[in-house]
Order: sequence, then C-alpha cells, then structure tokens
Amino acid sequence: MATLAQPRTPVTPPTYAEITRDVAATLGNPSRGYYILLGFVLTVLAIGVGALLYQIRFGLGVAGYTPPVMWGVYITNFVFWVGIAHSGTLISAILYLFRSAWRTAVYRTAEAMTVFAVLTAGLFPLIHIGRIWYAYWLFPYPNQRQLWINFKSPLVFDVFAVSTYLTVSTLFLIVGLIPDIAAVRDVATGWRKKLYRITALGWRGTDQQWRHYLKAYLYLAALATPLVLSVHSVVSWDFAVSIVPGWHATIFAPYFVAGAIYSGVALVVTLLVPLRKVFRMERYITGDHFDNLAKLLMLTGFIVGYAYATEYFLAWYSGNQFERAAFWNRAFGDYWWATWTMIICNAFLPLFLIFRKVRRSIPAMFVLSLFVNLGMWFERFVIIVVSLSHEYEPYAFGHYTPSWVEWAILCGSFAWFFTWFLLFAKNFPTVSISEVKEIIPMPRKGRAHT
Amino acid sequence: MTKRVLLAAGVLGVGAALVALRYGAPSAGLRAQQDTTAARSAYVAPVDVDTARLPGPKQPVFYRHDIHAGQYEMDCRYCHFAAEVSRSPGMPTLSTCMGCHLVAGAGNPEVEKVRAAYNEGRPIEWIEIHRLPPFVQFPHNLHVAADLTCQDCHGPIERMPQVYQYASLKMGWCLDCHHEEDVTTECTVCHY
Amino acid sequence: MDRRRFLEVLGVTGGGTAALAGCSTDQVEKLIPYLVPPEHQVPGVATYYATTCRECPAGCGLHVRVREGRAVKVEGNPESPVNRGRLCARGQASLQGLYNPDRVRGPMARTADGRFEPITWDEAIARLAERLAAASGDQIWFVTGHETGTFDRLVDEWLNGLRSNRRVVHEPFAYEALRRANRDVFNVSALPTYDFAAATYVLSFGTDFLETWVSPVEHARGFSAGHGFAEGRMGRYVHIEPRMSMTAMSADEWIAPVPGSEALLALALAHIIMRDRGAAVPPDALRLRALLAAHTPQGAAARTGVAVETIERLAREFAAGPSLAVAGGIGAQHPQAHVTAAAVNVLNYVAGNVGRTVRFGPEPTVAFGGGYGDLADLTRAMREGRVGVLLVHGANPAYASPAGLGFTDAMGRVGFTVSFARFLDETAMAAHLILPDHDPLEQWNDAEPRANVTALQQPVMQPVFDTRQTGDILLAMARRMGGRVGARFTAGSYKEYLQQSWQALQRRLRNSQPFDVFWAEALQRGGIVTESPPRPVRLGIGAAGAIGEATIWAAPDEPFTLIAYPSPVLHDGRGANRPWLQELPDPVTKVTWSTWVEIHPATARRLGIAEGDFVEVTSAAGTVTAPAYLYPGLREDVVAMPTGQGHTAFGRYAQGRGANVYHLLSAEPMAFGGVAHYAAVTIRNTGRHERLAKTEGRNRQMGRGIARATTLGALVGSETPEAAHEEHAAHAAPVPERIEHILDEWQEAQYAEARRGNYAGEHPRWAMAIDLSRCTGCSACVTACYAENNIPTVGPALVRHGREMSWLRIERYFEGGEHGEPLETRVIPMLCQHCGNAPCEPVCPVFAAYHTPDGLNAQVYNRCVGTRYCSNNCPYKVRYFNWFDYQAPQDPTFAWPEPLHWLLNPDVTVRAKGVMEKCTFCVQRIRGVQHEARLADRPLRDGDVVTACQQTCPSDAIVFGDLNDPTSRVHDLAADRRGYRVLEELNTRPAITYLQKVRNTREA
Repeated sequence: MATLAQPRTPVTPPTYAEITRDVAATLGNPSRGYYILLGFVLTVLAIGVGALLYQIRFGLGVAGYTPPVMWGVYITNFVFWVGIAHSGTLISAILYLFRSAWRTAVYRTAEAMTVFAVLTAGLFPLIHIGRIWYAYWLFPYPNQRQLWINFKSPLVFDVFAVSTYLTVSTLFLIVGLIPDIAAVRDVATGWRKKLYRITALGWRGTDQQWRHYLKAYLYLAALATPLVLSVHSVVSWDFAVSIVPGWHATIFAPYFVAGAIYSGVALVVTLLVPLRKVFRMERYITGDHFDNLAKLLMLTGFIVGYAYATEYFLAWYSGNQFERAAFWNRAFGDYWWATWTMIICNAFLPLFLIFRKVRRSIPAMFVLSLFVNLGMWFERFVIIVVSLSHEYEPYAFGHYTPSWVEWAILCGSFAWFFTWFLLFAKNFPTVSISEVKEIIPMPRKGRAHT
Repeated sequence: MTKRVLLAAGVLGVGAALVALRYGAPSAGLRAQQDTTAARSAYVAPVDVDTARLPGPKQPVFYRHDIHAGQYEMDCRYCHFAAEVSRSPGMPTLSTCMGCHLVAGAGNPEVEKVRAAYNEGRPIEWIEIHRLPPFVQFPHNLHVAADLTCQDCHGPIERMPQVYQYASLKMGWCLDCHHEEDVTTECTVCHY
Repeated sequence: MDRRRFLEVLGVTGGGTAALAGCSTDQVEKLIPYLVPPEHQVPGVATYYATTCRECPAGCGLHVRVREGRAVKVEGNPESPVNRGRLCARGQASLQGLYNPDRVRGPMARTADGRFEPITWDEAIARLAERLAAASGDQIWFVTGHETGTFDRLVDEWLNGLRSNRRVVHEPFAYEALRRANRDVFNVSALPTYDFAAATYVLSFGTDFLETWVSPVEHARGFSAGHGFAEGRMGRYVHIEPRMSMTAMSADEWIAPVPGSEALLALALAHIIMRDRGAAVPPDALRLRALLAAHTPQGAAARTGVAVETIERLAREFAAGPSLAVAGGIGAQHPQAHVTAAAVNVLNYVAGNVGRTVRFGPEPTVAFGGGYGDLADLTRAMREGRVGVLLVHGANPAYASPAGLGFTDAMGRVGFTVSFARFLDETAMAAHLILPDHDPLEQWNDAEPRANVTALQQPVMQPVFDTRQTGDILLAMARRMGGRVGARFTAGSYKEYLQQSWQALQRRLRNSQPFDVFWAEALQRGGIVTESPPRPVRLGIGAAGAIGEATIWAAPDEPFTLIAYPSPVLHDGRGANRPWLQELPDPVTKVTWSTWVEIHPATARRLGIAEGDFVEVTSAAGTVTAPAYLYPGLREDVVAMPTGQGHTAFGRYAQGRGANVYHLLSAEPMAFGGVAHYAAVTIRNTGRHERLAKTEGRNRQMGRGIARATTLGALVGSETPEAAHEEHAAHAAPVPERIEHILDEWQEAQYAEARRGNYAGEHPRWAMAIDLSRCTGCSACVTACYAENNIPTVGPALVRHGREMSWLRIERYFEGGEHGEPLETRVIPMLCQHCGNAPCEPVCPVFAAYHTPDGLNAQVYNRCVGTRYCSNNCPYKVRYFNWFDYQAPQDPTFAWPEPLHWLLNPDVTVRAKGVMEKCTFCVQRIRGVQHEARLADRPLRDGDVVTACQQTCPSDAIVFGDLNDPTSRVHDLAADRRGYRVLEELNTRPAITYLQKVRNTREA
C-alpha cells in the first residue's frame, strides 16, 4: 500500500484561505439542477416504498421467488450494498494508518458513501423476511416468552456485524468532520451557522484539541480497520456455512472481502467524477487520485478474478458431482448470461487498467467503474440465485426471474442512498479541509497564514 | 344420541329442581339464595344486578357462576363435563341448562331468556373470555388429570358474578408453571 | 379463517343442534357411531361413522372422522373387503364434494330469461308432479349414474308405477367391451373379481387396474401383495399398451404394440400355450384349437410389431405359474376392444386362470346396467321429441359424451328436464328444474360394489345446504300422485324404504337377529359381507365367434392415433371441481390444473413442438387445442390426452380449464355399445406457448441415486451384486480409506451431543420406511396429507412459480428410454426426512426449526420470521413457504371459500402468511396418541401412531414407528438390505429409510 502513498500535491498549491474558500463554496446555495435531481431521487424512493408496502400487504409472493430459489434480488442487494460500504473504511482508516497522503482529498466522500451504503444494506434483510413485523425477534432481548435466538445461525452474526459496522463508520465520519465543520462554521451564515455551531462540538482548533483529536482519530482508525475484513467475512459466512453447492466454499471470506473493496472503490470513482466536475474540485481531486484508485481497483480486481478461477478449479478438482453440476450450470445453464456478464465485467475489463493512459483518463475510469458495479451486482446474483436454482434434488430444480416489485425496490434502494448523499454533499464539506491543508507544503515567508 | 343426553340431563335436572323446591320457592331468585345458603354453604352470592360495574364483558345472559358454582357448590364439570375427557371443554348445551331450569328459577328474567332461547331453538352466543391464539394446542383433559383445579387458570370462578379473564394466558405464564412442575417445555407439545 | 373462532362457534351451535335434534329433525339422532357410544360425542373428541364412498363404482368403505358435528376427514373402512381401510385420492377428496362452495344450495327453477332462481321445495315438487301427471308413461325418461343398490330398484319401481320403462344408465366408464366379451365367451354379463394377490404373473392388455379400472384400491392392495418384494420372492408384471400409463409405470416390462392389435398378441399367446401344453388346457378349450392355430406368433409379430421371441417368452412365462391377464381398460377401448377382451378371456381360460385368479360371483351378481348405446337412443328420442319429462340423477351426459352426439342440443327439445345434480354441471345448466340431492356423505343409501358385498351409506352430519335426498323426492312424488304409483310404496321416507329392502335382505340371508340389531351392526360395519363360492364358468358357444373375427383395429391412415385415457385423478371429469384433485399432480406427467397432449420427444422434435406449445389435435369428430407435454412413454405414432377437463360449467375450479377430449371421440356407438377412446388424428403446432403448470423440475435424476432400484436377480444372488448397486457406486465419488475414517470420527463427535441429549434412553425416535417396490405413485398419500394437515391449494399460476404447498410429493424419474434401452420409470414419495442431523436447524436464527427429543424435525410456525434459510439449506427441498395469505377471504389467494373451511382439521394450525411449513410426521396424531396413552397410563405400542399418508396408502408402502423400539416394524425395515437413505453422503441422518424398488427381470 505504501507504494500508493506518493504525496503528489496540486500543481499550484492553493493557500489555506483558498482551500477553505473553495470547499466552503461547495456548500453555497443549491442550483436548480440540484433540486431537480433531488426531486427525481425522492420520486424513485417513493416508488420503492410503495412497492414495499404492497409486498407487506399481500405477502412475499408478489416478488418473483420460485422455489427452490428462496433468496433472490433482495439478498443480492444486501450483499452488494454491504460490499460498497467497505472501500470507505479502507480508504479512510487503513490508508490513514499507512499514512498515504493522497487519500485526503477523497476519503470524506468514501466515508459518507460507507455510512449511507450500510444504511441501505441494513434495510434488505428486513425487506426480504416473511414477517417483517417480527424482525425484532432477531435481536437477543429478554422476553416474556422466555425465548432466545440461535447464535449458531449466520443470520444472527449478520445482525451484529452490520450494526457494529454502522456504528463505527458513522462515528468515524462524524469525528473526521469536526474540524471542517468548524472551518465552514466561521464562514457560514443563517440557519446553517447554527447547525455547524452545534455539530462542530465547540471546536476551536487549539493545540490541545488537535492533540486529543488526532489521538482519537488514530484509535478510531485502528478500531475500524479490522472491521473492513471481519464484516464482509461474516456476510460471506451466510453462504459458506450452508451445504448449497456453490456456496459451501472456504475461500468465500477473502473472496468476498476483495470483491467488496473492489465494488466499493468502483463506486467511489463513480461518485467522485461528477462531484469533481460540479464542485470544481479539479485542483484537489486530480489524475493522481484516480490513478491511485485505479491501482486499488486493479489489485482487488485481480484477486476477484483469481477467486473465480479457483472456484471452478475446486469444483472440478473436488470430484464432487454436485459441485461440478452446479458450476457447469452457472457457466452453461439457464443463467449463463448473468455468469458471463459477471466474469467479463469483473475479471477482464480491469485488465485495461494496466495502461496508465486509462488510469488517468477520467471518462474511461468513469465508464469502467460503472461496469465493475454492474459486474459485482451480478456476481452476488449468480452466487445466490444460480446456486439455489440447481441444488441436490433434480425434481425440485426451478427457475427464478425477479418481479417488478423487486426491481422497484432495487431502484428505491439507490434512490435512498443518493438522497442521503445529495443532502450530505450540500451541507457538509465533501473534501477534508483540514487534511488537505496538512499535505500542502509549508507556505513560504511573506505570505500570511490565515 | 341427544335423546340420551336429554334423558340424563332431565333426570339430574328434576333432582336439582326438587332440591331447589325443598329450600323455598324457586320463583324469587333472591329469597331462594338466602334460604338455601342458610342450609347449604357459608357463601351467599351478593344480590347483584349492575353488570356494568362488574369486571369482564357483559354476556347475553347474566349467568352467575357465583350462584351456581359458589352458593350451590355445583361441580364445574356438571356443565363443562368435556374438560375431563376432551382437549376442549366445550360449552354446555342448552339442554344442560334446561335440565334444572325446566323447573327451577322460573320468573327470574335471566332464566326466562334461557328458556326462550331453548324454545326458539337458537343457541345463546356467549362472549368468549379465555382465548388462546389459534396456533396453541391446550388439552384440558391432561391438565385436569394432572390435578390442576379450574381455579388455577380461571381464577375464583365460584366468586365471579360475571366472568373475567384471570390469568394472562401468555406463553411465559404457561412456561412458569411448566418449569415449576418440571413438565415438558418442548415446543411441539403445544405448537403444531 | 381463525380455527379457534370457527371451533367456538361450532361448540355452541353444534351443541345447540344436538339439543334440538330431539324436537326437530331426526336426521342425526339415530346415527350409530362406529363402535363408540353416542354419549361420547364430546366437543374436541372425534367420532367415526362408517359409510360408503360413491366417487366411483368401486364402492370402497369409509370411516368419516367427525368433530363437533362436522366431517373433517375421510378414511378407508378396515372392515370393507373392497378397500380394507385404504383409499385413493378421489375418495379422500369426497370431503370437498360435501363442502364444495359451488354446490346447489337449494331447489332452483329456470326463468324465462334462462337464469336459475331459487324456489321452495313445495313449489318445486308441485311443478314436477304437475309435469309428470301431464306426461304419458313412456314419455318419462330417467337417466341415472351407475346405481347398484336400493335406489336402483326404487327408480325402476317408480318408473314402472308411472308406466314407463325408459331407464337409462349413463356411466362413462361402463366397460361395455369387457361385459360384451364376458357374455360372448362365458355367457356371464357380470364383471368377475380379479385376484392380483394370487397371481405371480400379471399381463395387462392396456388395462389401468391401479387407476380407474373397476376397483383400483382393491387391485392396488392385491397387486402390491403379489408383486411387492418379500422374502426373496415377487411376482412379475408385463404391461402391453402403446402408452405407459401410471399402472404401467409399476411394470417390470412395458411392451408397446401397434395400437389396436393387442387381440392378436393375446391369441398368439393362447396359440403357443395350446401348442406346448395341449393336454394341460381345459378340454372344452380344445374346441378353439383350429381357430387358434391360425394365430401363429409369426403372424402376430408381423402385425403387432412385437418380436416373435418376445411373444414366445411371454407365453412361456404366462403358462408357468398362477397368472392373470386383464383387458378392457378404458385407455385401450378402441373400436375392437371387445375382441381384445374376448381374446384375453380365452387366454385366461386356456391357461386355466378362470376360477383361480379370475372369479365370477354367484347369481344374482352385480352387473353394470346399460351403457353408451342407451344414451344414444335417448338422444335420438329427445331429438324426435319423444321425451316429455327427462329426469337426470348422478350423471352428466352433456359433458361426458362425444360432442357429435349433440346431447345438449337434443335436451332443448325435451318438454321438461329435471336435474337432481348437486352442482350446476353441464347437464343441470340445460335443465328446467333443479332438485339438489344430498351429498353421499349426507345420504341414506346402499350399494353392491361387487358380489357378496352390500355396503351401507349413512349421513355423517346434518345436510350442509337445503338439499333433499332424491329417494325421498321420488317417494313424496309417488304419494302425491297416488293411484298406481302411490300404491306401490308404503315407506314414508327413503330411509324407511331402505330398511324395508334390508329386512328383505335379512330374510334372504336367514339371519335370525332382531332387525334393529342386524341394522345397527350393519351400520357399524358399513355394510355386510356374505359368503358364497365362486361360480364355475365354461366357454360359451359365442367364444369362437367372439375371437373368430379377430380383426384388429387399423387406424385410418392419419399420422397419429389418439388415446383418450381415463385420468387417474379426475376420473371421467366428476373430480374436476375439487381443488385437491385439480392441484394433485398427474401421477405420470406431474401436470396440474390443465389438460395436455402427450407427444413422444422424437415426434415433437420432428414436428418442431416444444413443451408448452399449444397443439391443435384434429379428428374426424372435432378439434381441441392443448399444450404439449413431451413424454417418452409413448409410441412415436401415438398421442395421448387425459379425460376430465374442459368443463363449460360445474363450478369455479372446473369451469373453462383445459380441453374436453370427448370432443375428439366418435359419437357412433361401437360394436360393443361403448364409446371408442381411440381416434385417428392429425396434430398441428399453433405457435401459442404457455409454461405448463407442472411441479417437476427435471425428470432425470442425473445419477444421484435418489430413487434407486435393483433387480430380483441381484437380491436372490443369481446376478452379481455390482449390477444391483452400480448406481450407488456411480453417485458417490470414491473416497480414500483414511478420509472415510476421519469423516466417520467427525460425524460421531458431531453427533455424540445429540445422542446424549435426545436419542438415548426412553425417548422414541420417530421414523418411517417407504417400500419403493410397493409404491405405485398413485398419489393417494398426497391428497390424504392435504386433508389431514390443512394444506392450502394455490392454483395454476402459483404452481407455475413452484409455490405448491404439497408437504408430500411423488417424484417421478425416467431411466433409459434413449437410444434403444427400455424406458424405466421410478417413483419416490419425497417428504421431510426429519434428519437426525438436519441442515435446516442450525441456520434458523430464532429456533423455529429445531429438533425435538423424540427425533422430530419440528417447525414452530408462530416463531418463524420467514428468513427461508432453512429451505435453502434443505437438500431435499421439502420445506414450503406461505408466500401469500391463504386464509384471508379478502385476498385473491383465499383457499377455503365457505363452506370449504369446514373441512379444516381443528387439531392443526392453519399457517399464517410469511412462515415456513413442512411435513410434521403428523405430530398432531403423535401427540394425540401420547396423550391418550398418558391418560390411560399405558406405554405406546408399535402401530399406535399412524400418519395420514400411511393410513391411506392402497399398497401399504409406508410404515411409521419408533426406531428405538427394537420390536417395531420400522426398526426392522431400517436395517433391511434394500434400505437406503436419500443423499445420505451429506450426513443428514434422515429418519426415512427407502427400500429399493425391485425389478423382476427374470425371464423364463
């Protein structure tokens, strides 16, 4: 990782004042475009919520479930969003510990993305269960029925993994925000000023505060780091501990973690490109950043590709006829298209990143990131749906196609995510003021500090 | 079969009626109460007409357990005979009531309601008080066989002018007893 | 529907009616419960009444389980010699006839504008009386179904009283060909009884004796006794038919001759037997020698397409032991069916089976009256306006007759039509007056299903609707009209009339008891069985003639021969408005809720037809369109369609579903007076496509050893064991010794815990054994499970989504059938295996799926939140999820429209939306028996607990019991050398042991 940490500063280093000004500018009055976008997103969200209510009223049957495929798009989305959540912590925490300076300009976006992605992911286990009104039974709490939960069940692991991750990543985001909020507080006006005055938690930037702040931040980073590995490992166990051919594999934990970071970084890129344009951040988010992100993509992409190869090799090498049949069905069965979409998007397209030109070309990176996101969604779809559709009992093989309700809720989940993100981007600095200031060279004599 | 039921009910009924006659006029419910109690049991059911004041829902007929089970000390299983032999206690049929009330309780407005219903041939639709969810199986006969008294679950019925729910009947409540008595707490004993 | 609320209401009203029975009707009070004193009619305690099933002419005995005055389950009557306590799917579903929401709820009359509107009984009877008075005797026609008892006599007497003899019996499956052949060959028009148990060699010429033919449950019992593997012995069964029917699926060998040529095959066999053992054949058979001489194997081989050596072999095998050949199945009823039947009669006679495995009853014996010919006459009469009053009871000729007959149109010319139908079926829709009859479960009646058996029917509960028994109406009519007809009848009610005829019966039997006792005992037993020796029969004069013109039926040179075979589920269509039957997968094709056209895959490939493509089938008589089903169990020049669907009326479940195959059949009565179920057809792909509503994913088991079979040879050791277990070897990859060892240790370690906690000591370990050499795939168990466990029916749309809720399914796999080797079918009932080490249990986050101390894999509905992980992790895929709310009347998926919900079993929870459910091993029955034992303070004995599927299984393939009890049957069977557990290499430790199917490939 250290190799990624060549601090390349903007060509003409901005002064502290400029940084504060530029970043604060992003919080200016929203344009009409912003409101149109927000309106659109909210409409989609409403549709998603409508679909959910419809499903709750009539039952899960309104989704496309076709036994034996008992899990479908909902769990796919869950894993997808949890995956997205991972790059945030990676970039902000791990790279922080590795002291790779380039992260400063992008980590805020990544962190925000993490929190909102977990918020989205958390919804899906609820959406997918048959009796959502009893979802609270999944938590261990003393009740008059004298019942307890089954700690052997990976679904219970999930409950803890996701809630822990949400807490820590939220905390991390907020703490990181404090100095910046203080900075914009000083330039803000109106109700926003009040908001920032409260959320800045009385930050004055004294040495003492900074000392404590940095310690706290360091410890939080240290705390968050293991989660990057643990949370998605736990999610992978949802599948790995079962006896479903195509799920029951020991490589799932590393395989999923790599995949998670892969998709997460991809989404960071997808978000940064427009952000950079709209907020005129070209001076802060430069080709270097994309280059570094691209390298991350490449690394994780290769791991994922390797995992695919391993899966197929093991299926063949195990000599287990069920495994073999399952993987044959993946590649050449009814769902071949999904499988090949996943393999092409995740294993082959990243090869283009070998070329520096591609890595530094913003449009190319943008397009590529979209493909990776698509591919990663299909990876989860293939693992879940295709494995379930052909298990042990040939008589009980089935074919599943999602219904409009599931698509509506999928779109709704994106809307939910972007609603949060849009609100955040307009009200809080999406680029870390303080940390960007840290990495610009000490100003020369004569130019006043501000 | 009902002929036999009627017969049995009839015989017992006449007997009960004679008892009632022996202790004063069956016509006026109130005097009957006082006379009989003097001789029969220590407990005198209060004269009570204000059903609204009493706990528990108002029933189509103001049937008083405190008079039947309390004052006259009738065995619960005289009417709820099924509780001993069946999973469900069942509601006593009208013929059971008429066993006595062909003769007893004439003039008492509530008794007249019962007679009217019997003659018109429409069953009285009592309001259910002790209600378990549909996914719970509760075999009364086993619990009776286990020497539980009715009161253990239904409370001091023989002191209730109007029946109300005594125990919570919640799962935890069941389990407490099952733990105490060290009997099975296996899910599929009650849930299937 | 809230079960408890429903019960409470019943508790009250049930009690109320009981109290009132004294003063009002005497319908219920005189019921004699089966061996249980009436005062034990207690709320919450079931009472059993013995009666008789009227779903088909077989007349099986029933025990109806009654709770709170409502029939909740129908089971076989162990004392009935016909079914011995077993029952088929149709019998199980009779309950849905009783509670069917589409029953006619009271008398109705057709108004000027063609609608039906309710009227009072008095008015209805008045109208009928007036019409009858107006009509002169021979203008009064009476159509009934197959009636064999007192009602049959009543109708005849009644008509006679009205100076009419216009009685028509319409039973779509009336076996005219067989009866004609019996008349010709043996001078007996009756149907014999067939002893499948005694026959070690069964030869079926297109006869579906396990499905609809004559008495399927009785046959299934006998067949499984004779053919099921036991102590190293079993019978051999060869089926000869162009199509592999459900019955043929149990055959050791399936031979598909040229359609319509079976007669020649039978005669060739007779020829060989006569040739090889001339002396041994009955002397009077020698008369036929010259005739049979003509039917050389070579000649037969040329025209039937069956190899000479095959024919020779069959003859040798057939002659060898006590054998039995059967013919006359509806599925083989081609224009020359009577010749086939005659030839088979001769074959049986020559082989000396008549009197041994084929036994004719004493005179007077029960004969199917009439036949399709009479119906044709009636239609002609109607068209010519010779019918003044037409009364229809228990028959639906407007549906179950070829369209070419034009019965419905002809009815238009009838002065006045009265229907006694219980449903607004096609015939009733064309009637002027509908006087709904009681359901058989509400009736007093009797039946003589076969010689020596007289079965009684008694009402098991008060009538659900404002219906009246037809017998009572006829008597009332007679009284009202007085005069000649009035004088005939002294009985005040049909029940009284019935008792009179039983008094006569008692006199005939020289029974000295007081009649009340005689009657009471008969009611308790469900009827009486008399003893009388079989009547010896000789070859009749007609025999030579019958087989003389052994012209085989040659299909006109159309490309395909259509076989309109009788549906084993819907029968002739009378079952079509029973959701249980509609949703019951056809035992062969596994298709539900529709009609299909069976086409051989090769043919389909040639014509570019894919499964689900709508195919237009055209015969001389008409055209129907139905989706194609690719079925390897057919000759390539044959297509097949089941009867039973395509109703234009008859209620919400039947109407407008599938196609009516009768539209393809010729209206012309055949020589034997029946309808030909064969037709020459052309087929065309319409291009329209629809996914079939079938419950099957893949029909090959991919060598996974799920439904295993071995051969008799391998078991008795004349063949190499490898041959027997090759499959097992194939499906488990070779594992090194060392690894095996490690795995075992691991399993033990993993299992020790459970054993300490649960299976050690006094706890039972409930387990099941299923003998695949007995299972015929008839699917009676499936419907029994629906009935016992309140399983909702979901309809075709959801079945297409694989969302059927059937806890117990019959999987049907094909083996071979490609490039030359013979097609073999395997069936295996698949239900929750109640694994000792169940994959579904650890993954449930809330302990809704867990293991009980007595080895049940429990599912606690009210704890389930519906993550469905258990189902993902179940290798057997036997867990079913409530995708919708099936008990909410306002929801489109409501499964029990009133009064259908009255059949819900009060002992079983009706599952809520969003929870998982599955087979419970009938835990309610287990707990019930345990409670009784506890109260009686006695230990459980083997056989105390009987699951619903086991109880009904006609071939006794299912055994349930306690594995920890060394004396139990299931304990022995679990250790049987044929025993295996499905997918046991997954270490699931199933509680169900399957005993391999055994194929008797011994070839003499």
